[in-house]
Amino acid sequence: MNFPLSFWDISLWLAVTAIILLITSELISPYYGQTNILINKKRLKNAALTMGILFLITVAIRIYEIITSP
Amino acid sequence: MPEPSKLSGYTLLLFGTLSLLLSTFYEHSILAFIGLGLTFWGALLLYIRSENYVKRNLLNSTTLPTLENLNQILTELGYQGNAIYLPPKYFKDPETSKIFISKRKSTNLPTPEEIRQEEDKILLKNAEGALIIPPGLSLSKLFEKTLGTSFTKVDLEYLQQNLPKLFIEDLEIAENLEIQTKPSKTAKKINDSASVIQVKYNIIHVKITNSVYKDMCKEARKLPRICGDIGCPICSAIACSIAKASGKPVTIEKTESTEDAKAIEVYYRIIEE
Repeated sequence: MNFPLSFWDISLWLAVTAIILLITSELISPYYGQTNILINKKRLKNAALTMGILFLITVAIRIYEIITSP
Repeated sequence: MPEPSKLSGYTLLLFGTLSLLLSTFYEHSILAFIGLGLTFWGALLLYIRSENYVKRNLLNSTTLPTLENLNQILTELGYQGNAIYLPPKYFKDPETSKIFISKRKSTNLPTPEEIRQEEDKILLKNAEGALIIPPGLSLSKLFEKTLGTSFTKVDLEYLQQNLPKLFIEDLEIAENLEIQTKPSKTAKKINDSASVIQVKYNIIHVKITNSVYKDMCKEARKLPRICGDIGCPICSAIACSIAKASGKPVTIEKTESTEDAKAIEVYYRIIEE
């Protein structure tokens, strides 16, 4: 009984999710006049940035592994 | 009964967790991806809530009668002076700002001491004028609350840098806001051979594009004491903010707007005491 996804699968999933959220967050930004969408845009932006940062952390771990591997 | 978005959030979260548990049990990667996705979107639906909005025409219907009243009172009282936004140093409360309107057109601005003596009254006897609460005072306090600061602690550059973001992103009041300060250089003589040139910001030009108050602005044009003098709530709020940040009295010099009121340009003058 093991979790079937590896660290890299999760990293890929994080990348895809972060891209979707970041693009959505940018498209519904009030800077483009989108003031009719009734969701908390600040929270969406925070969620998108969090996912992006989590993905970047996985990338950093990968780089660290490549550098330290013999 | 919970809101539909909350209900769908919990449902997605439940199915996602179930799918993740089953994927671990059967060691099935597709089920794990489905579980991750469902759990994530469920959590996202619960985190990103919809905001409460009011329709724009409600805003106009509730605010306009107050402005019409103010316009009528000032017209009937026959106060001829321009509206001057006084900074907090004129009052006991360091966070307030009020408008002073003199009885005669050519009256000098009263001193802070004169105002402080009668600051709780509307019609002043010593200073011969009226002291009224600006229509945009609460809005300017909302600006301060959203920015997490008091405008008495900041300068005009801070307003120039932070008000556009506040108007566009945080409060969604307008599609665009531009603030330009027009400096006027004054030379100060120290002695016979040396003089220092001081740059003072006398005129502040603010351009508001597609504001939520544009319909009110169209209606307020019919009120001569409001448009271009006291200002509609949004112009008044900016005047309060400038008076607080500069610590000097401010007047609305000129207001220009397009026919549909999509672009409003306001010129504020900082009065050198």
